[in-house]
Amino acid sequence: MASGHRHILVVEDDQETAGQLVDSLTASGYEVNLAANGSDALTLGLSSDYAVITIDRMLPDIDGITVMRSLREEGIVTPVLIISALGEIDERVRGLRAGGDDYLTKPFSFVELVARVEALARRSDTVIKETVLHAGDLELDLVSRTASRHGRNIGLLPREFQLLEYLVRNEGRVVSRAMLLQHVWDLHFDPTTNIIDVYVGRVRRKVDGTQAYPLIHTVRGVGYCLRAPD
Amino acid sequence: MHLTETLRSSTFRLALIAIGLFGAIVLTLFSYVYLSTASYVRSRSDGTISAEQMNLQKAYDRAGRAGLKAIIEQRISDEHFQDSFYLLTDSSRSFVAGNLKMWPADLGSSEGWQNFRAPGLANRPMLRAELKTFPNGDHLLVGRSIDDLDAFAGNIKAAFVWGIALIFALAGVASVLVTRRTVGRIEAINTASRAIMQSDLDQRIPLRGTNDEWDRVAENLNSMLDRIETLMQEVKQVTDNVAHDLRTPLARMRGQLEKAYHRRRDGEEDQALIGDTIVNIDGVLRIFSSITRIAQIEAKAQKVAFRTVNIAEITSEIVELYDAAAEEKGAHLHFVGDQRMCVTGDRDLIFDAVGNLVDNAIKHGRPDGNVTVEVAASGDGGAIISVADDGPGIPAAEHQNVFKRFYRLERSRQTAGNGLGLSLVAAVARLHGAHIEMLDNRPGLRFRLLFPPNLFPLSNTDARAPRGAEQNYIKPDALREDKTLRT
Repeated sequence: MASGHRHILVVEDDQETAGQLVDSLTASGYEVNLAANGSDALTLGLSSDYAVITIDRMLPDIDGITVMRSLREEGIVTPVLIISALGEIDERVRGLRAGGDDYLTKPFSFVELVARVEALARRSDTVIKETVLHAGDLELDLVSRTASRHGRNIGLLPREFQLLEYLVRNEGRVVSRAMLLQHVWDLHFDPTTNIIDVYVGRVRRKVDGTQAYPLIHTVRGVGYCLRAPD
Repeated sequence: MHLTETLRSSTFRLALIAIGLFGAIVLTLFSYVYLSTASYVRSRSDGTISAEQMNLQKAYDRAGRAGLKAIIEQRISDEHFQDSFYLLTDSSRSFVAGNLKMWPADLGSSEGWQNFRAPGLANRPMLRAELKTFPNGDHLLVGRSIDDLDAFAGNIKAAFVWGIALIFALAGVASVLVTRRTVGRIEAINTASRAIMQSDLDQRIPLRGTNDEWDRVAENLNSMLDRIETLMQEVKQVTDNVAHDLRTPLARMRGQLEKAYHRRRDGEEDQALIGDTIVNIDGVLRIFSSITRIAQIEAKAQKVAFRTVNIAEITSEIVELYDAAAEEKGAHLHFVGDQRMCVTGDRDLIFDAVGNLVDNAIKHGRPDGNVTVEVAASGDGGAIISVADDGPGIPAAEHQNVFKRFYRLERSRQTAGNGLGLSLVAAVARLHGAHIEMLDNRPGLRFRLLFPPNLFPLSNTDARAPRGAEQNYIKPDALREDKTLRT
């Protein structure tokens, strides 16, 4: 991660939410600027270089998506996380997410917000083309699509491998169920059942079942985190 | 109904316009017939007079005054000429011959055509005559009574006037009656509607059993009312269920928080409580977003994301995803069918809907049973996704209810799930124009989603559009205009 580039612009008109956003991002080590309306957001967004910009979909003056478009037209390529209270069915958010940047629907957990901001911030850094990923004694061969722990091969289905790869790439960071659905299955809705937990449970049995220490950890109420002991 | 109401009604106004137009046409026609008949009769009469005048002049030229006098006297005595009137006078207008005894006093000239009342005769009939003065000063008058002609024309005129008056009167009465009938039916419907709006939805608009268009209007309004009543009942049921499903976790949370509030602070216990509360709140939020999601799908806010999707691929992904859940329960999940079967739709929604069906099948099937998911072509060029289990199934009587929001078979509502799954499936099916069927699998239950034929069968777009391609979200309308866009 490019150090010194942990500057974030938060665009949010609700004071309470804005305060919580600033607090949780500051606690994660980001430097945060706050804009309470669309025109401030444009001024700030154009004047300095941010790692990530989070924009509320509904602002008192200019629509959040219009703010994003205007920034893009001015040549600002900073990743934008759109926060919408309209729900995942909000058509324009659907259009937006197809455009590549991320979205989050209110209400959300701050752990999830930070996780998504982290993911976007990393995206603006250099992309490393590895062929093998490591986490503790887990090794993922991205070419042959095989996983092993301690040299012992783990039999995984293609989708299971993808899930594990996503967890490993986000090692040490919390990944929500919605993020898993989004990145592993390309689905954009909150599952109403516990199916992701069941699926991760099976992957976990295969990966951690007979090992010395577990790698996949449950983060209560949010999702999962892959973490190797130091 | 009051007369003023009748007169104000649009039906009556239309009838008046029709009567006016029709009346004007009839009036023109009748006037034309009358005028041409009258002038024809008059010209015939004038022709006869002229011819007679001519004959008599010739006789005068030939035989002089005495000859003419003889002819006139012969004519008068001939009953064929009883309608004709003659008078021959000398230059001082003294009587020479004829059946008129004196020259009419009120004539201006003694040449040409004149109309006058016959002097010295009983009834003084109206005459029309041609006058002639001979070179020696004698005057000849030849005329005919035109009282009959006038009476004839008058009769025609009277017949026409009465006829037209009668037509207007009848049309007026008819339009008042028709208007009253129409306005009466509308008013009956209005009265019933007002009563329904004011008090209760169980009232219905009365039918007359005539099976006419008014009965059909009433029938349609009644079935609309049936639908509204059902919806209202559903809304009430849903509200009750929402209240139950949201209140239960909220009450639990409130209780726990209240207890914790009065207790001494204890780091670990507080931590656990806060964790529990977050999980509970997430549960409540999930119910909320399910409700709004279904509502939004039903409001058809979603078609923007429609494109050609491969349901075989979606379905096999679902089978792979849910295999873990089936395994946990000891059940076997199979996918049967082709590898490629395309429909027009929204991948997320189809995934969610079919996922719900599979989830239900696993949950409600036998613990070690089989769940089969099948994708096949339907007879009409569409596609079928079927999800079948071999569990206990659902009694036929309950089949229609399962799609209702928050409906659950166990009335106690104890098991996990919010009863929204199948109403989501139904909403997604409706949005896709798909038909949903629930069949007895003997044993077990089989759901079938019958999709209509793909709108763009030639399209080779993959189910998975390249990410980051916003232009792939094309409105179906736009596509219909330009199908080549995607091929």
